Amino acid sequence: MTDAPLTRADRRLQRRMRRFDNPWLNPKLLWGIGLLLGIVALGLIGRMLWNLDLVFTGSATLKLPPVGFENLRRQPGVWDHPLGTDGSGRDMLALIVIGAPNSLFVGLMASLIGMGTGIVLGFTAGFVGGRTDDVIRVLSDVMITIPPLLILVVFQSAFGDVSLTMMALLIAGFVWQSPTRLIRAQVLSMRQSGYVQMAQLSGAPTHHIMFREMLPNLVPYLFGSFIANVTTSIVTAVGLEVLGLGPQRIPTLGRTIYEAINAGALIQNLWWWWGIPTILLAVMFIGLLLINLGLDEVSNPRLRRLS
Amino acid sequence: MKLGKTVTLASALALLVTGALAQDVAREDTVIFDLDRTIKDPENFNWMTPGTKRMHGAHQAMWEPLFILNYGTGELDPWLGTEITPNATNDEWVLKIRQGVEWSDGEAFDADDVVFTVGMAISNEDISSREASTVRAQVASVEKVDPMTVKFTLTAPNPRFAVENFGVRIFGSFLIMPQHIWEGQDPATFAFYPPIGTGPYTYTSGATNRMIWDRNDDWWGAKAGFQDLPEPKRLIWLESGGAESRAQLMATNQMDAAQNVSVGTFEAISFQNPKVIAWHNGYPYASADPCARQLEINTTVGPWDDPALRRAVNHIIDRNQIVNVAIEGATVPSETMFVQYGSMAPYIDAVKAAGHGLSPTADVAAGQALIEAAGYAMGDDGIYEKDGEDLAVKIHVNSASTEYTKTIDVIVEQLNRAGIKASSVPVENGVFWGEVLPFGAYEMSYSWLSCGSVNEPWASMGRYTVKDVVPVGERSPGFNNTARWADASAEAYSAIVDQMANKALGDPDVPGMVAEAYAHLADGMPFIPLVQSAKLLPLNTTYWEGWPTNDNYYNHPFFWWNSTHQMIHNLTKAN
Repeated sequence: MTDAPLTRADRRLQRRMRRFDNPWLNPKLLWGIGLLLGIVALGLIGRMLWNLDLVFTGSATLKLPPVGFENLRRQPGVWDHPLGTDGSGRDMLALIVIGAPNSLFVGLMASLIGMGTGIVLGFTAGFVGGRTDDVIRVLSDVMITIPPLLILVVFQSAFGDVSLTMMALLIAGFVWQSPTRLIRAQVLSMRQSGYVQMAQLSGAPTHHIMFREMLPNLVPYLFGSFIANVTTSIVTAVGLEVLGLGPQRIPTLGRTIYEAINAGALIQNLWWWWGIPTILLAVMFIGLLLINLGLDEVSNPRLRRLS
Repeated sequence: MKLGKTVTLASALALLVTGALAQDVAREDTVIFDLDRTIKDPENFNWMTPGTKRMHGAHQAMWEPLFILNYGTGELDPWLGTEITPNATNDEWVLKIRQGVEWSDGEAFDADDVVFTVGMAISNEDISSREASTVRAQVASVEKVDPMTVKFTLTAPNPRFAVENFGVRIFGSFLIMPQHIWEGQDPATFAFYPPIGTGPYTYTSGATNRMIWDRNDDWWGAKAGFQDLPEPKRLIWLESGGAESRAQLMATNQMDAAQNVSVGTFEAISFQNPKVIAWHNGYPYASADPCARQLEINTTVGPWDDPALRRAVNHIIDRNQIVNVAIEGATVPSETMFVQYGSMAPYIDAVKAAGHGLSPTADVAAGQALIEAAGYAMGDDGIYEKDGEDLAVKIHVNSASTEYTKTIDVIVEQLNRAGIKASSVPVENGVFWGEVLPFGAYEMSYSWLSCGSVNEPWASMGRYTVKDVVPVGERSPGFNNTARWADASAEAYSAIVDQMANKALGDPDVPGMVAEAYAHLADGMPFIPLVQSAKLLPLNTTYWEGWPTNDNYYNHPFFWWNSTHQMIHNLTKAN
């Protein structure tokens, strides 16, 4: 039987079945992670190989194009600055080596804090119930109606120059509501399940039931929600940066785009100035989207069969 | 914010074009000027109080000055006034008014209006615009001699009285208001809406991003034979909202005169639209603006109340890099506080000969030595610290122009690299001029407040004397000495500058006194001169010709100044 030659269809089926043996190894997830790791690697390897002092204002000739192109003044690109320079003489490669991981960092950090808050509040509300639940529910319902960008614009303007961490903290203040509501709903339904009731009957303390018994069952949900939150946080952060409200002296992709627009890069045809950060942001969002789709397949087996 | 402005601009422009069509003024009869700021209160035309009340067309199209200083000839060109002459001691001045001038409502403009407006300014402490404050400080009394003659008696002899107050030397002049409308009103709160003036245009409509003025075909100047009616039927000042949209509007002929752009942007505009010109035909294209750029330092806030640290910052700043990076080579480093016009050369040379000239390059080691002498030590993070506190400074900058923000970005970079933790605080134009600068609500800021002198030294130097010092939180009179510089060196400086005040133009003692006073200024360093100001203003010849250029030099091209009346009368329709 095992020696019988397999038809092409059989092989394909086998490959598919093998691939789905482990749902965590689905191609969308792998590609998504690959893209994000690529950006992290760009940051890590770039920091080792490239001269990061070139990121400072006035380090090089202004407005040089990438290698192989010419700018409006007919200056060709040079290998000293392979991706060109911006209108203040900053090297584009150094800018993205530092800036791209920064944008990802703000997203991850804001999302981690938001998720952490969401997990604690969601579990507390769902499990403890009563007055506590009322307070948390009302608070998250109210907060979810407030458009974050509007408030953040005011905050950032009032703070003036903010650090990346400060910006992540501010954004985190607007990404905890969704996980809170999601987890609360899940906890409410799980509370009735047998293993939880058993744990309660055996006198396990509340935090043990919440975090040791119930939390592991929510992991795929949490991952999905986390990735969605990272996307929201990066969009918010980039939105603020493009408005010129991000950190001043720390390079980020959003701020680079803001400076390009502000200095008339479009009319001067300095496409590399705004184009390169835009491509990197696109890669980042596609990576996050793929991870999200991949995680969906992990947590929802029906999607796997359909593919 | 800029992106948002670009989007709103597009819709505003669409509305505007529809509006213009509805009122039947063709594009080729309209001149569209750029406005680089938002009009906070478009229904307030009281220019004596702070805010954008003039440069949206009010003092370019509606309110005419008495005289206009011609930068080419150095003479005062007569406008509503025909002559203004001092007595032998320069403390009494007699103004003659032009015959036949009328307000746009038909009332005659005469000595009563001048006496009334000047009287209002000198008797009212609440009105605070720079021009009103200057008149209040200089004029003791004003009287009507006959309907066409006014006599001013000054508080002290002043050989520059006419050009300082009525000559549009820098930006504006003291504007005369109609007595028949302002009488009985409180000048500190009166909105003067709808406004009237004597100019050839009257107010049509306004919003926060634009102001529209239509030609008054019954203008007095044409009837009295003073000037022909100007050719444009409509003038619009439109907020363009940043370099990118400004450039697009110029390239697509939707704007006729734009505010300052970078060399690269100008090259890109003229590449797309060869009809767009500037002051010079070739690089660097720009014209010299009389307001040299500087870093203003609040001398009351520690640690910058220590003059040694202020001098350290002066050493650390590399002016050449500011020129090359922020201004793209279109200007030159400042050698002193003064504008580098030929007429200022004797004073600049005197200061340089006395050893107080500024270096175009940095001497970081000298700056660091001063910081270390003040008790600071370099920390592990490359920033100086003393008693556990970093040596830090926040620099406020008006976000209205990339020239301003880029300059401060360069300085922030230079200071950080030398060990001072500097950061920039960009603020909106209205907040910057209305709340930050005059009230001393900053540590350092980007400004040009020593601006004033164009052919003598006193106008600039007189702005930093101790008599104008007010505590932080109170408004500096006429933006004078916003650095609040009041130590011993300031006292010594002020004593010399006060002596200079009544010296006649061209007095041979003056250069020596300038150098002597400048020694104290260099010692106290209440502000750090940076670079000369170059204005690269794209002017569109698609619809209109006759713009001021170096080859057609009837005056400078600054179309947000009160002198724009001359420009409008020189514009002719392009074929």
